Amino acid sequence: MAIDTKFLGKKYPIHTYEVGKEKIREFARAIGDSNPLFLDDEKAKASKYGIIVAPPMFVVVYSAGPVGQMLMDGDLALNLMMLVHGEQEFEFGEVVKSGDIITTESEIVEIFEKKGKSFITMATTSKNQHGETTVKGRWTFIVRG
Amino acid sequence: MPVEKNPVGKYQPIYYAGASGDFNLIHIDPEFGKMVGLGGNILQGLCTMSFAAKAVWNYGGDPASLKKLKVRFASPVKPLDTVVVSGKVVAKEGDLVTINLVATTKKGEVEVLNNSVAEMRKV
Repeated sequence: MAIDTKFLGKKYPIHTYEVGKEKIREFARAIGDSNPLFLDDEKAKASKYGIIVAPPMFVVVYSAGPVGQMLMDGDLALNLMMLVHGEQEFEFGEVVKSGDIITTESEIVEIFEKKGKSFITMATTSKNQHGETTVKGRWTFIVRG
Repeated sequence: MPVEKNPVGKYQPIYYAGASGDFNLIHIDPEFGKMVGLGGNILQGLCTMSFAAKAVWNYGGDPASLKKLKVRFASPVKPLDTVVVSGKVVAKEGDLVTINLVATTKKGEVEVLNNSVAEMRKV
């Protein structure tokens, strides 16, 4: 079933996330990354960052809140059983550090049909507590059949 | 860019679910995965993307070297697969390097990421 294009431009509430050191460590381990910048207090302290930093793909932890809201949005009523992740794009800015507070804005920017499948794309922009952009994301999902 | 191999353990989708918060049943429940025609549970696409990102920032020498990453999820990764990430430098403009990325499983037979591109700045 086609997704109604009236949802184009829909925004979800700003999502706020406080970056914790142990969550960074957990994430780095889960993707098999043993870089001491993500794990080791002493080595991170001696680095140019001065503190444990997050791997770039930690973006999925701090900015996916609105994506989840879109997927679970009762008005959109996406068929989650038939939903797959189609494409993903991230443009990285400032490195995310332990203790950062990140806010994420979101908007549905694309809805279309192709070969009997429905495509929906959300754009997100995340900023740290200094107002610096840490990442811009485009999340595209496909509802099969 | 050096090739990186990422073995996917049987429970990798569960670990990644915990770390990322993506507990979609297609990732953590093999029975549900079968029911929706995926033949079992599949790894989160964003985990595969993390493997690709890691290969790029390892090559760049610092997490900040990864400037942009765009991937297309071509087919699902299953537990006990090995994700092999390779990249080819296709352009250099100043210190900005563009890399075409491919990730495969099953000894290169199945592309799991294609039409994928990274921008990297050596730091």
